[in-house]
Amino acid sequence: MFLKVELPWNVMIPAENMDAKGLMLKRAILVQLLEAFALKKATVELGYYLTVTTLDKIGEGKIREQTGEIMFPVVFSGVTFKIFKGEILQGVVHKVLKHGVFLRCGPVENVYLSSAKMLDYKFVPGENPIFMNEKMSRIQVETTVRFVVLATKWMEVDKEFQALASLQGDYLGPISEE
Amino acid sequence: MSGEEEENAAELKIGDEFLKAKCLMNCEVSLILEHKYEQLQQVSEDPMNQVSQVFEKSLQYVKRFSRYKNPDAVRQVREILSRHQLTEFELCVLGNLCPESAEEAVAMVPSLRTKGRTHDDDAIGKMLVDLSLVKKFE
Repeated sequence: MFLKVELPWNVMIPAENMDAKGLMLKRAILVQLLEAFALKKATVELGYYLTVTTLDKIGEGKIREQTGEIMFPVVFSGVTFKIFKGEILQGVVHKVLKHGVFLRCGPVENVYLSSAKMLDYKFVPGENPIFMNEKMSRIQVETTVRFVVLATKWMEVDKEFQALASLQGDYLGPISEE
Repeated sequence: MSGEEEENAAELKIGDEFLKAKCLMNCEVSLILEHKYEQLQQVSEDPMNQVSQVFEKSLQYVKRFSRYKNPDAVRQVREILSRHQLTEFELCVLGNLCPESAEEAVAMVPSLRTKGRTHDDDAIGKMLVDLSLVKKFE
């Protein structure tokens, strides 16, 4: 689910970027904020950081004694994506293996749908392997699949989420594009 | 998220902070990200190089999974769904997955049928018809 979040942050501005004209300062703060935001990538609490939408508040700057930088506390709004257990989502298959398929869902690359969670689908090996059920419904690379999230896992080192998916439930499975 | 209860979006157990947080539908995120991308295009020759991978992947995703493209239609969809005493999370799941029947809607958002809530099939069906009209006249 995409979330609209409001976050406090501290922005550091080197002294040489301080300018008597207020607009330049606001610009410097915004540029620093955007850079820091992009580097952050994701957190376990809020998920993946997509973009800053508005800079809502800039507090009083404080000089840091050692470096001479000015620290501005700011509050901004942004968009994040977090994957929840129990949530029903759509994803796109990007890898088909004997034991299951990997789906991409928003910024999440590794949503694993095991063959054990889609029992009516059988693996069909070949140059382009697929999963197919008795009604000839196919799951292959680029197929859109609607799934339920069984579990999620946060990988601190890579700052990535992984998820396990299932097709066991009503109205889940591959979807033909409109 | 409190440690006592396990997360389960189907029962709306996703932590109080998220139940209250504003969720966004794919079509709304698509409008926001495309607008950002256009702004970048104006100042940079190679805007794709300026955005993070998270941004790029999300933009591709929401472009593919937005049923409504026109900003007015997107606003109307939120307006229609807002009339039905849904949580933010439920509202966005319905707006994203566009179920075609009341039965499908309940399968997508099982919490609609929790005790004490008043979403019968007729009310849900009416809501889905209203949504399909938005799509038709988009």
